[in-house]
Amino acid sequence: MHTRQRRIVGATAAIALVAGLAACAAPAGEEDDGVVVITVMGMPAATNTAALELFQQQVAEFEELNPDIRVVGSDVPWDAKTFAARLAGGSAPTLLRVPLTEPPSLIERGQVADIAAEASELDSFEELNPRVMAFLERDDAVYGLPEKSYAFGLVYNRALFEEAGLDPDQPPTTWDEVREAAKQISDATGKTGFGEISTNNSGGWHLTGYTYSNGGSMIEPGTDGAYTASFNDDAARDVLEWWKQTRWTDDSLGDNVLGKQEDMVAAFAAGEVGMWVSAPPDLYPQFINAGGDPEIYGAGAMPQGGADATLAGATVLMVNAKASAEERDAAVKWMDFRALRPNYDPEVAAAYAEVSAEDGLPVGVPVLPIFSEEKYAEIQEAIAEYVNVEVANFDPYVASLAAFEYVPEPLVASQEIYAALDPIVQAVLTDPNADIEQLLDDAEARVNTILEQAQG
Amino acid sequence: MRRRAAGAGLVFLLPALVLFGYFAWWPIVQSAILAFQRTNLVDAAEWVGWANFEQLFADPLLPTAALNTLWFTALSMLIGLPLPLLVAVAMSELRRGGALARVLAYLPVVIPPVVSVLLWKVFFAPGENGVVNAALGLVGLGPFPWLQSPELAMPSLVVVATWSGAGTAILIYLAALTGVATELYEAAELDGASVWRRIWHVTLPQMRGVILVLLLLQIIGALQVFTEPYVMTDGGPANATVTVLLMIYRYAFLFGNFGVASALSILLALVLVVVSAVYLRLTRSWSSS
Repeated sequence: MHTRQRRIVGATAAIALVAGLAACAAPAGEEDDGVVVITVMGMPAATNTAALELFQQQVAEFEELNPDIRVVGSDVPWDAKTFAARLAGGSAPTLLRVPLTEPPSLIERGQVADIAAEASELDSFEELNPRVMAFLERDDAVYGLPEKSYAFGLVYNRALFEEAGLDPDQPPTTWDEVREAAKQISDATGKTGFGEISTNNSGGWHLTGYTYSNGGSMIEPGTDGAYTASFNDDAARDVLEWWKQTRWTDDSLGDNVLGKQEDMVAAFAAGEVGMWVSAPPDLYPQFINAGGDPEIYGAGAMPQGGADATLAGATVLMVNAKASAEERDAAVKWMDFRALRPNYDPEVAAAYAEVSAEDGLPVGVPVLPIFSEEKYAEIQEAIAEYVNVEVANFDPYVASLAAFEYVPEPLVASQEIYAALDPIVQAVLTDPNADIEQLLDDAEARVNTILEQAQG
Repeated sequence: MRRRAAGAGLVFLLPALVLFGYFAWWPIVQSAILAFQRTNLVDAAEWVGWANFEQLFADPLLPTAALNTLWFTALSMLIGLPLPLLVAVAMSELRRGGALARVLAYLPVVIPPVVSVLLWKVFFAPGENGVVNAALGLVGLGPFPWLQSPELAMPSLVVVATWSGAGTAILIYLAALTGVATELYEAAELDGASVWRRIWHVTLPQMRGVILVLLLLQIIGALQVFTEPYVMTDGGPANATVTVLLMIYRYAFLFGNFGVASALSILLALVLVVVSAVYLRLTRSWSSS
């Protein structure tokens, strides 16, 4: 072979190699010899050995029951930043496990599938708590099934309560009482009485939750069905005023107000914060993980301004819109097997609890039931011997769950709305002279523009 | 013979060109296409003409983000441009410990950006216990709400960006300083010129080319500031540190609106091209004058 020919052959081989490598990046096969392969989020991390073992056992059991389905687990958590790129590249998982802040935008963008037909065939579907399912159903379509759900409540430090002369078994239940308690904690202990977060959309999220507790709403549909901003009224104004007074008049809100949930968990676990608002059951594992003392963890009702309402959320399982009918069917079967059964079948619940307790994971954290109250009681009884959490510390929160109305997050453009509201929360918390009226007017105009574009 | 050699060279260059074209240029072309489309990445993309640009210009946050970005760039020029030069010149005057000084100056660059930014977030904690406030407290100043105040947040971010980026500039300046003809210094010393006069009349004119290159790189870098506001303030408080790149990020990954994100990316790229062109024009006229 001449030198030149050799060069050309070499170069061609190099290009072929590159092309071959590029081809390897294609997603896993969808169907192979009639076997449907689904990738599912929610596999425990390798460090969580007992839970991972249980997961693998479940996969084996599931595949035995459904020989035409193969389940590939993924321990990668939900990440909005990578999802769109993975979706575009064809490597997004078949089954998504997402917090309830995500479904409205995923549904709007058509990135998740309607699973009404498949879900309605499940034995337990009809028994799912309608208050939870309200977030996942639109008209006749069903876009997901809940894995677990929560409602906003007051998380508080029982030790700081005692130090400040407050009764840890009787947490405040109204915003006025919270303000008084915050001042008392801050005066007596020098710690932050009431902690607040305001970045990464958490400011807008909290403003929404607090406004609901005052009887307000964030967006409302008009006669033509189109949503417009509805928060420029007393319900939201009172929240902003409350923040302003707690921050600047009482000085009990602390000076570190520009953080997100993770920052507050760390500060709270370190005993620096008396109270704050979050989802108590969801937060508990993070609190323990951050080194928090289980004895001091208190969970109270969502403070109220007269509405008896609380913002509710959940961890939800949804199916990728690109999934084929077979994959959709397989994914729904897996959802039932892995997520619904432990809340529905006492035997499975007990097995779950045993493994979790062995691994030192919290067992028995009271949650908002995804099935009926009776079913919840049945499950609690089945796992009773493995419970390792101070359940009594959640009593005030649990008592409130039956009493409150659960209000979902804004159904259109929730994340955009939260992002637009973060700055007004930050303005009130960082500027003693913030003009609340002006801030609300500006935010209303901004949210209306967002809604117009989202619905246009 | 020469033509044959060139042909063979091209063949060997081809894989690199293909790779570069696919991974570097194709995304830019796709981004430009995406700026005129609406897509959910599931269904086929829909052509929407200038709608993404119209939506972008209707966003009241755009002027705020643009002004904030310019403000960050201006502050970076004020703090970030002279500081490394001064440090480099001072270091070049050192008789001993030059190597150690170079290592110390470059050290911040070795720390991954997110780590250094998180570190500074702790330093800038408000209240008396924050590291910076505790230090200032020793001389009776503060405490200041560094990141929690709409006025102080942006300058604080510039300090962090300068701290983490100055090392590279210092090394480049030091390398350039070695190229300054020593006989000029000797002549200046013979004429009795002070250190300051030597710097002003010998060092700086000799380094003009390097200074101008770094100026351009710094402007291009500063206009694309992202890590500091994203990690430290998330654009807050009250939009005081929202930058153009943070807006692009939010449009793409938070709101899933890749069309508008691409439209803004293209606009930013055009601005950077114009800045570069103006700069090249100016430097050419300066060097010929």
